Amino acid sequence: MASSSDLENPNASSALPYSYTPLPDGEQTAEPAVVLHPKKAVAFLVCAFLSVGFLVALIGNNGPLAPKNLNTNVAPSTVATTAKTTPLSRGVDKGVSEKAFRPLLGADNSFPWSSNMLDWQRTGFHFQPEKNWMNDPNGPVFYKGWYHLFYQYHPDAPVWGKIVWGHAVSKDLINWRHLPIAMETDQWYDEQGVWTGSATILPDGQLVVLYTGSTNESVQVQNLAYPADPNDPLLINWVKYPGNPVLVPPPGIDDKDFRDPTTAWKTPEGKWRITIGSKINKTGISLVYDTEDFKTFELLDGVLHAVPGTGMWECVDFYPISKQTENGLDTSVDGPGVKHIVKASMDDDRHDYYAIGTYDAYKGKWTPDNPTLDVGIGLRYDYGIYYASKTFYDQNKNRRVLWSWIKETDTEASDISKGWASLMGVPRTILLDKKTKSNIIQWPVEEITALRTDATVFKNLVLEAGALVPLNLPAASQLDIVAEFELDEATVQRLNGADVAYDCAQSGGAATRGALGPFGLSVLAHDGLVEHTPVYFYVAKGVDGNLKTFFCADQSRSSTATDVDKSIYGNIVPVLKGEKLSMRILVDHSIVESFAQEGRTCITSRVYPTKAIYNNARLFLFNNATAATVTASINVWQMKSADI
Amino acid sequence: MESRNTNFLQFLKMKISSPLTILFLLFLLQQTLLSAMADLQLIKNTCKGTPSSSLCLKILLADPKSQNADLTGLALIGVDAINNKGLEILKQIVALKESRPELGPVLDHCAEVYLAVVDADVLSSRDALRTGMAKFAEQGMADSAVEAQVCEGSFGEHGHTSPMLGSNNAMIDVANVVRAIVHILLYG
Repeated sequence: MASSSDLENPNASSALPYSYTPLPDGEQTAEPAVVLHPKKAVAFLVCAFLSVGFLVALIGNNGPLAPKNLNTNVAPSTVATTAKTTPLSRGVDKGVSEKAFRPLLGADNSFPWSSNMLDWQRTGFHFQPEKNWMNDPNGPVFYKGWYHLFYQYHPDAPVWGKIVWGHAVSKDLINWRHLPIAMETDQWYDEQGVWTGSATILPDGQLVVLYTGSTNESVQVQNLAYPADPNDPLLINWVKYPGNPVLVPPPGIDDKDFRDPTTAWKTPEGKWRITIGSKINKTGISLVYDTEDFKTFELLDGVLHAVPGTGMWECVDFYPISKQTENGLDTSVDGPGVKHIVKASMDDDRHDYYAIGTYDAYKGKWTPDNPTLDVGIGLRYDYGIYYASKTFYDQNKNRRVLWSWIKETDTEASDISKGWASLMGVPRTILLDKKTKSNIIQWPVEEITALRTDATVFKNLVLEAGALVPLNLPAASQLDIVAEFELDEATVQRLNGADVAYDCAQSGGAATRGALGPFGLSVLAHDGLVEHTPVYFYVAKGVDGNLKTFFCADQSRSSTATDVDKSIYGNIVPVLKGEKLSMRILVDHSIVESFAQEGRTCITSRVYPTKAIYNNARLFLFNNATAATVTASINVWQMKSADI
Repeated sequence: MESRNTNFLQFLKMKISSPLTILFLLFLLQQTLLSAMADLQLIKNTCKGTPSSSLCLKILLADPKSQNADLTGLALIGVDAINNKGLEILKQIVALKESRPELGPVLDHCAEVYLAVVDADVLSSRDALRTGMAKFAEQGMADSAVEAQVCEGSFGEHGHTSPMLGSNNAMIDVANVVRAIVHILLYG
């Protein structure tokens, strides 16, 4: 083991058998000098040529790797010191010192995370188990009058580990009753984990589940399970099919690249079909299997779809959406009025991508409408923290409902202190956007509005450029906000356009002013804005006179703590002629879900303020544009807590 | 008896000295050399994709398992290095609690965050790498670097000079290197 002084001096040269210089392709080693008899010399030379040829081939395949960019959103910001300052805070204008946050020496021995602060982080109406770790939603289904949610659960610690299926039921997708663990790691074929899977309801009402097991040897296999008592609406006990596993990685597929079977749908031949994500080299793919009994399967030639360069496809989802109606479709529905979505969770970048396309049921293949917006390279369900999502057809209300895992973006030490990690997003309905036809829209399920209580309404507030308006509310940790904004036409018209690129993540957030933005709401804000989380629109006028609208959620000043993620998330949002700009924000303690233009662009954020909590949380309205006036109308509802 | 042994030895000598046998033995030697060179090649190439290739090489080559390891195996060696470093730092904290009692509360906080590294991040990362869920290992390594920064920052926040600057920086460096190895594993 290297000594600590060596680790402190990582650039000190080390004793290596070969000198460490960058290896060009085709570098060869010196040949040893050996004296042999002529016959043996020939034999040796043959060997030498073979070995040299092999060496060249080997090095040719293992060229130098380019240093990778480590800038992903996985970890909290590694910049330890910037959060101490609050640049461009509105507080300065109001006479509040920029350096308001500085603990008095010796007077305050509490570290950033008091139990008060950590307790506040727990949500009021987002699904989460009582303690420890959760990740992917599994087998969501409506069965005998109950909505079921299963989920990846680590019962031992607030960190991922040996996973079992947690289980909860609800009548309304909002209030939940926790049930015992549905499936444990009690078989050799799921000993390392009862991983993600999906439920299928057969026409006769039977329910079957296919899920991935990580075997005792860490091979990923698919297993069949079904309720021990189909008459039990709570589906408490489960049976694993004695003949498991029903699928093992096929030839050419790595043992660790074969997981997350989908809900099955009917083929024209009357069989059941599923798809399972995988990869071949760097091409993400989705394998297709047909079955009649969920016990024996036939692998179809080729794949449902593949996209080069996207890496492993996890949690693939495949479902129809209606081109005409405003309801969801059973997974087996097909026909001329239908498009199909292929969605996958990209293992490489931890984001969920989807694409709209056409399914050929006879060939078992799907083609995207727009190959430049293909799976993994185009649209995302959500531009914040949102992964491993899965839909189900809710036959109770004829809608397609989306669940997703929302991880923490604080430190593991904090998760251990507070005793839990991860949430589910509020379930969303999914529909094709009938106006743009090139994206879906997502919206929190209507049942969430049952939690709305006291409403505060602000109508036609006029915000001059640079305005900041505190909105007087009884509380601000659990809110449902619906807001509409209008830019003053005159300024928009007279402005000279410029083709300046805008990207939420690189923009510097709400403090970076443009002529026509940013403007929006600042949630979980503290008086003086020492901490605040702006959710905003930024409108840019191009040289051609067209407007582009961006929708962002800015965590860069969300907390004075230095060990939480401070990224800015967001994306462009399509805005059609004549549409006002509208946003909806669900604030629920340490999670903020933001929706623009009725769900065309969605952003889920995790926010961990130290000051803007309990009675000190505020809501502000702002217009940080330099030129335009904005008129805003806002409805703010207090949200009751759900039973969770 | 003796003549049979002698005959046998003569038989062996004949076989060894024949060109075909020499060819075969040289081929074996070449394969072994190539295999060892290929593994070293993997280590070198992997380390080039990390923020500190020399630190990376140090960590990996210090463990004999690296000779026959694939990329997952190299990542696991890296996680072991995090674990070892974390345990070492925890011991340092215990010693400091005695020699610098005025730093007590800060040292307690450092112990807390390093326990998160060793108890949660390391265990989770190992499980993740072994079962093909490398993304959780990347998360664990990223978190380890942040925990070290939290410990380091805690001293300043309370008006003290950190006696652990070297250790915390070392943990950050190792964590960033191992995170990069896992990143290579993920992105292929």
